[in-house]
Amino acid sequence: MEAKLKELSEKRKSVLDGGGPKRVAAQHEKGKMTARERIEAFLDPDSFVELDAFVEHRAAELGMDEVKAPGEGVVIGYGTVNGRLVYLFAQDFTVIGGSLGEMHAAKICKAMDTAMKVGCPCIGINDSGGARIQEGVDALCGYGNIFYRNTLASGVIPQISVIMGPCAGGAVYSPALTDFTVMVDKTSNMFITGPQVIKAVTGEDVTAEALGGALVHSAVSGVASLMFSDEKATIEGVRRLLSYLPQNNIEDSPLVDTGDDSARLCSDLANIIPDSPNKPYDVRDVISRIFDNGDYFELQPLYAKNIVTCFARLGGRSVGVIANQPNVLAGVLDINASDKASRFIRFCDSFNMPIVTLTDTAGYLPGVGQEHGGVIRHGAKLLYAYSEATVPKMNVIMRKAYGGAYIAMSSRHLGADMVFAWPSAEIAVMGPEGAANIIFKNEIEEAADSAAMRKEKIQEYKDQFANPYKAAARGYVDDVIDPAHTRARLASALAMLLGKRESRPSKKHGNTPV
Amino acid sequence: MLKKYRVTVNGQSYDVAVEELGSVSGNVPAPAAVTHAVSAPAATAAAPATAPAPSAGGAGTVAAPMPGTVLSIKVAAGQAVKRGDVLLILEAMKMENEITATADGVVKALRVQAGATVNTGDPLVELS
Repeated sequence: MEAKLKELSEKRKSVLDGGGPKRVAAQHEKGKMTARERIEAFLDPDSFVELDAFVEHRAAELGMDEVKAPGEGVVIGYGTVNGRLVYLFAQDFTVIGGSLGEMHAAKICKAMDTAMKVGCPCIGINDSGGARIQEGVDALCGYGNIFYRNTLASGVIPQISVIMGPCAGGAVYSPALTDFTVMVDKTSNMFITGPQVIKAVTGEDVTAEALGGALVHSAVSGVASLMFSDEKATIEGVRRLLSYLPQNNIEDSPLVDTGDDSARLCSDLANIIPDSPNKPYDVRDVISRIFDNGDYFELQPLYAKNIVTCFARLGGRSVGVIANQPNVLAGVLDINASDKASRFIRFCDSFNMPIVTLTDTAGYLPGVGQEHGGVIRHGAKLLYAYSEATVPKMNVIMRKAYGGAYIAMSSRHLGADMVFAWPSAEIAVMGPEGAANIIFKNEIEEAADSAAMRKEKIQEYKDQFANPYKAAARGYVDDVIDPAHTRARLASALAMLLGKRESRPSKKHGNTPV
Repeated sequence: MLKKYRVTVNGQSYDVAVEELGSVSGNVPAPAAVTHAVSAPAATAAAPATAPAPSAGGAGTVAAPMPGTVLSIKVAAGQAVKRGDVLLILEAMKMENEITATADGVVKALRVQAGATVNTGDPLVELS
């Protein structure tokens, strides 16, 4: 027995050593941790339990029979984050470049399958050169198996992809299928085809960083949900993200004792909104005053900044917040804002997270670029996502809510459970200037002083329609409230709505516009 | 389409014919193809036909994020600005949007005046 135990410990040691000290040192030189160091930093101390450490590849062609790959280039297992179970896999770049072959993929699939079975989040730490070419179609089968499971697990357990190195070719589609993609600045890349292929095919010269770095995917493509300055900050960020989420689609998010009184008055909220409806302000100042301890966790902060999506807590309960941002592009809805918000709403609905909407938008952005870019089908996603969501939906119309954008932003008509409006709200088909020009066209043209008449008619329209009371008269707005009471009223509505049950027509699934 | 221009360089006048070869896609400033149909004193080379290159969104250029009207300009040429300083107010979508400096620098040139109507991507201010 003793000899056998010795053999076991030797075998385990060779797996723990990964690609050996030279490759580990090379990894460290790049400012990167090894797969095991990342797991250790991510999970609660001593909570990691490794599985499949002794898995080996069975490729024999192209010299693969000579290649030893300890752990098959990926570490999988389970552990806890703040005491809550998670499954995870971490690709090990020190072992044949973290390349993905048949058995490497089989390990990842096992982690995903088990996470789904037990109902806990699955976190993937990506750092891989791509498919293990020597394994041919077996490697492709591996990717396909992962994508298939990503799709099955979608809406069942939260899936988070952390990109801590290269992630190229087919490999990028697994993160794209998960709920969140988190990247590390400067050391992570994602692209379908790399700079060399692009150079050969189109002649364009581009660096990996400019093509698919964290900043590009955060600010331009919208592929990344979040980016952080280094691996440590990234790991902390993902731990914090998890704190807002439930374990799976039949549980609720953990109730946290935030110590912030639900009935707290937000007396300075009224001063944040400028008196003139044409002046911008930062809606994040509103968010931080309403929710517990001013704390919120923003997603895609650099992408489609004209809409803010974040997690926050209200009376200790996790909620998803969607808010127009008047500070950027006048807070209009456009293609990217619609994409960003609708995906966020669908996540919240999948995982039982109530949705709070803060509305102040003049409408959808006009322009040839938007129309030709498909703002109709992209904008439709927002309508679809709000209509489809059955979680508690609350809306605060702070200022402008015009036309299609009024309908899109969690209106009563799309099934909002509670719609509040501040006295500053302007709910109408269109803004006063445009509306007066159309409705009073003849009066303005025929008047002796048409400019004065125009001004008068704009004021007339403003007095009649640029307020929340027409909508409240129909019951589309449940109450017009003092901004100071926003937090208390939202918290009360949330508590009231916790038992909400809403059934939908039985169907296989809807056909979401994409 | 052949267009004829008369260009005067150092008091010498040249007749230049310029042919348009179709539009170039994108925002790339297309150097006009110059055919050397120079008549009369043809000793020196034809004058270079430099078109003002509209480099929208280039380095140092602050461009309009959406279509609107320039309400007021808050800086003057030659003025030093810091990242985040308000350069001008663009009224668009019923909002007085603050257009801010994207980086520290000096205002090299103002490309618009108050009252101007601009489209998405139009250059507003050049910073250096």
